[in-house]
Amino acid sequence: MKLSLNWIKDYVKLPDDMDLSRLAYDLTMSTVEVEGVENLAERFDKIIVGEIKEVLPHPNADKLRVCRVDIGAGEIKDIVCGGSNLEAGMKVVVARPGAMVRWHGEGEPVEIKNAKLRGVESFGMICASVEVGLADLFPAAEEHEIMDVTSLGIAAGTPVAEALELDDILLEIDNKSMTNRPDLWGHYGIARELAALYDLELVEFDKYTPDVTDTVDVRIADTERCPRYIGAKIEGLCVKPSPFKMQSRIWRVGMRPINALVDITNYVMLATGQPTHVFDSNHIIDHIEVRRANDGEKLQLLNDKELALSTDDLVIADAEGAVALAGVMGGAKDSVLPETESVILEVANFESRGVRRTALRYDNRTESSSRYEKAVDPERCDQGLSLAMKLFAELYPEMKVTAFNDQYVNKLERKEIDVEFDWLDRRLGKRIPQEIVAKKLGTMGYDVTFTDVGMHIVVPTWRSTGDVSIKADIMEEVARMYGYENFEATTITTSFDGAINQLEVDLVRKIKEYLAFRCNMQEIFTYPWMTEEFVTALMPDTNGILALATPPAPTEKYIRCSLLPNICKAIVKNERNFDEFDIFEEAQVFLDSDYTNEYKGEKLPAQKKHLGCAFVGSSDNIQELFRRAKGVIGSMPRFTHMEGFTFEKNEKPYWADETVWLNIMLNGKKIGDLALLSKKSALACGIKVLSAILVELDMDALAPFKSRTNRFVHTPEFPINEYDISFLVDSAVKWDEIYACVMNKKNELIRDLLFVDEYKGKQIPAGKKSITLRLLIGSDEKTLTGAEIEAVANSALKKLNKNIGADIRTV
Amino acid sequence: MKDKLDALLREGTARIEAAQSEAELQEVKGELLGKQGSITELLKEIPKLDISLRPEMGKAVNNVKVLLTEQIEGRREALKLKASEISPDFDCTVPGFEPKIGGLHPITQMCYDLNDAFRSMGFEIFSGPEITSEYYAFDNLNFPPNHPARESMDTYWLEGHDSGEANDKLCLRPHLTGDSVRYMLTHKPPYRFVYPGRVYRNETTDARHERAFFQYEALIVDKDFTYTAGKVMIKSILSKVFGPDVPVRMRAGFFPFVEPGFEIDMGCLVCGGKGCSVCKHVGWIEIMPGGTPHPNVLRAAGLDPDEYTGFYVNIGLDRLVMMRYGVDDVRLFHSTDLRFLKQFH
Repeated sequence: MKLSLNWIKDYVKLPDDMDLSRLAYDLTMSTVEVEGVENLAERFDKIIVGEIKEVLPHPNADKLRVCRVDIGAGEIKDIVCGGSNLEAGMKVVVARPGAMVRWHGEGEPVEIKNAKLRGVESFGMICASVEVGLADLFPAAEEHEIMDVTSLGIAAGTPVAEALELDDILLEIDNKSMTNRPDLWGHYGIARELAALYDLELVEFDKYTPDVTDTVDVRIADTERCPRYIGAKIEGLCVKPSPFKMQSRIWRVGMRPINALVDITNYVMLATGQPTHVFDSNHIIDHIEVRRANDGEKLQLLNDKELALSTDDLVIADAEGAVALAGVMGGAKDSVLPETESVILEVANFESRGVRRTALRYDNRTESSSRYEKAVDPERCDQGLSLAMKLFAELYPEMKVTAFNDQYVNKLERKEIDVEFDWLDRRLGKRIPQEIVAKKLGTMGYDVTFTDVGMHIVVPTWRSTGDVSIKADIMEEVARMYGYENFEATTITTSFDGAINQLEVDLVRKIKEYLAFRCNMQEIFTYPWMTEEFVTALMPDTNGILALATPPAPTEKYIRCSLLPNICKAIVKNERNFDEFDIFEEAQVFLDSDYTNEYKGEKLPAQKKHLGCAFVGSSDNIQELFRRAKGVIGSMPRFTHMEGFTFEKNEKPYWADETVWLNIMLNGKKIGDLALLSKKSALACGIKVLSAILVELDMDALAPFKSRTNRFVHTPEFPINEYDISFLVDSAVKWDEIYACVMNKKNELIRDLLFVDEYKGKQIPAGKKSITLRLLIGSDEKTLTGAEIEAVANSALKKLNKNIGADIRTV
Repeated sequence: MKDKLDALLREGTARIEAAQSEAELQEVKGELLGKQGSITELLKEIPKLDISLRPEMGKAVNNVKVLLTEQIEGRREALKLKASEISPDFDCTVPGFEPKIGGLHPITQMCYDLNDAFRSMGFEIFSGPEITSEYYAFDNLNFPPNHPARESMDTYWLEGHDSGEANDKLCLRPHLTGDSVRYMLTHKPPYRFVYPGRVYRNETTDARHERAFFQYEALIVDKDFTYTAGKVMIKSILSKVFGPDVPVRMRAGFFPFVEPGFEIDMGCLVCGGKGCSVCKHVGWIEIMPGGTPHPNVLRAAGLDPDEYTGFYVNIGLDRLVMMRYGVDDVRLFHSTDLRFLKQFH
């Protein structure tokens, strides 16, 4: 919202030497965020009024003229101009060299310089209204028309800013910072804040008292939605432009002047925050009724939108039908028309939520609806009416109010709050003198009476529509007006009753840091909604998957029951740029099942913390990819200090390859999967070249150790010898069998057995594979001799040969 | 011959000094003292000399031989100490191997930085469910019944759970504050905890707006806690993350969960408060809302707001991370693009 400082000064007398940046800062600190302060006159620097003395033909161009222009103090300059309406005696706007103008009203402002135009020296430029940003105030009839200010009777040489009373400061307020303050949506509201801030006097509006016995027939059918409606019939009017000063003010704060009747209503709204409307009274048949619309009832708005209304919409209607959408916009047929001579002025109050619903329903938010939806108080109608009547009288001295009706059926109760001084002092951390508290509150409209222990406060109506209702609100009023910066920071005291010890929280972090920093994986974030093609690619069906009622896109309605669909989407995205990458995500997943009463009164679906990983690489060496993944997941418990899990083959995940898959088991329960993404699923996802081992794990099932459990082992006193053995074995024999064969009832000198390599290839007979393993052989008592080591290895080999048919190769 | 010998000594000394490796030195030694070496050749010529000259020349040649031998041994010792077998052409400007390392998402990193800061002040870390009922999203948090955020414009309601009583209506949580009530209902006061997490809003996205983002809230609830103590807390946290001398200010702001409410600004780090395009020329950057928990929030948690009060802040981690690294599009955080994510070490 834009505010004019001159306009604010109508209501509060600010000191002449007011420091503007200080004012903006104080308003920001105490009330609303001032986003910008603009000195309007600066836009018109070096732009002045000139008088054309003579219009001469241009020697080299048919469409251009050379004007001899008086630019003040009798100084005459030649200015080349292509305007279509140039005449001697005309007062025009001259941009002197150094002024900033917008060529034809477009693009960024450019600086005017002395220039030769088709061989003739030109001093600056004679401007069209659009070029100095005044098109709304001085609309041009056609493109080449220059701005004519002759009728304003201003002397040549006068700066335009002064001549047009544009010597003003504009404050840009962040609308978001005052959504809770319906009272601030007009100049008067901000003036009231400034008065309280600087202890200044606030100008009061006179109360309008109607001097007429006839009534406008106003019937309010829905008093919830319309607590108050004032209708005043005013005659003796006509459609004409409003005075320049009014137009200029309306324009300055960002609206367009239309005509005097419309401008009055806008001016009142901008001044008081109270929207008003005028109907052509000749078009209002019989009476005004404020009622819900009939289903499908038609209404054409002022902006020509044709609406078919719903029964939730509130309308202003006459005997024949709807004439306006209450609080949002007037109807095209019955508002101000070119021939309007008498009007019914509407100053009314509408309930906020209904106005908002209607404005959103038709995507038709207006200055009016955005004010009503903040909850304007019904008493504000009095200010709006008072100012409107004053303006009608000023602009139309012959006007007459011939009928009047004020239906205030749903009176607003002012809130009452008791505040104990003791409480206030404790919460503020500082004692503010009671008379300062009472004075600040008084200027803001609160009625304060002292009690034995504190204050009894009656909240002004304009703060009683939900904004101020409890004593914490009063504390805020006091603190902000006293100045937040005037409170010294106080120390935080604490009582220590033990260190924070949150094992589950720490485990999640340990796991993520393990994956990122020990295992070179990159954490990703994805959205909770899944794209349908990935769901279809990875899941047998969509049973048990929760969906959004209003999804971000029609294909993204399912929310995640697994992290894998979005991880696959991330694979597709990164496959373009990388040949090999490992990624993980930790997030909540949701299931349409196991609804439990989580907290008081609430029934929530199952929600679990999951870990999802993808190990992505070349399809040429699946075993390597598989071992990479299995190594990371298998070592995780050891590095992150939690109960170990095991890999078993119990239940193949739907998306997994027929062969390469494992379940992750903890205490006999499946807590996750590790598997190669099947070719079919990969293709359905659009993963073109690379292969991926996916892992998904239920993190809630993991059990952190209470402290570290691994024990120190002495370093061996005698050498441990490595002994590698290669042999051929049936291709179907698994490493687990080989390991068990050697390690069950093993020779005590065998310390460990390691997998080194598996090979299938040309030299290996069909149906066989070559395995290389490494025995670690050593004694606690002595250094073993070569023969002793050999003997241990041979016994292992014999077992392998006997039990699993290992064919020992001599390499 | 005397001249020849002098020349040989000079030349030999120079070559010995020039030798850069033991192998090179060995070569020089061979050429000087070997079987066909220059000295050996000279010795061979002595018998051809006049007999009277022989003893003197013989002595002279032998002297040179001893001298050169000593020099060679001296050089050998010197080379041993210096001993580098590496060619002087070795290029030290070739780049090192990048350590192969993954990384945490930049938002996780910021979250952990804050966790560390808050933990150091005795805060617990809490997280709640992302699907919540309307009751915990709005009703018990002092959202007035006509608050615009309640309308489906802003919240993702779940299909089949988007009507009925507040307990039956389910949505993706639009903010974290409901979690604070969950925590308070299951713990005993006084409270001091943080509750970071993802939240979701049904909005149109652009470079500054996302549908999914990460928030970080902190809450202290105690008896007679003044908001000026909250300022100390905020300053401590921000200085942990952004350095020790961050100016902080609190100004009027409105949020349904708090009363009074504040906008908390941090001095612009780009311009040092002088004003620049990043801070819209005001020298301050809006960083988080905060305030005293609204009495209704405390009541929802079963506390007497006359007895208990506290301080609350809500930090938008996306924004904070954007400021930390100068990221100009919030949507990048959920892009899963490794070219982006790998930049935050």
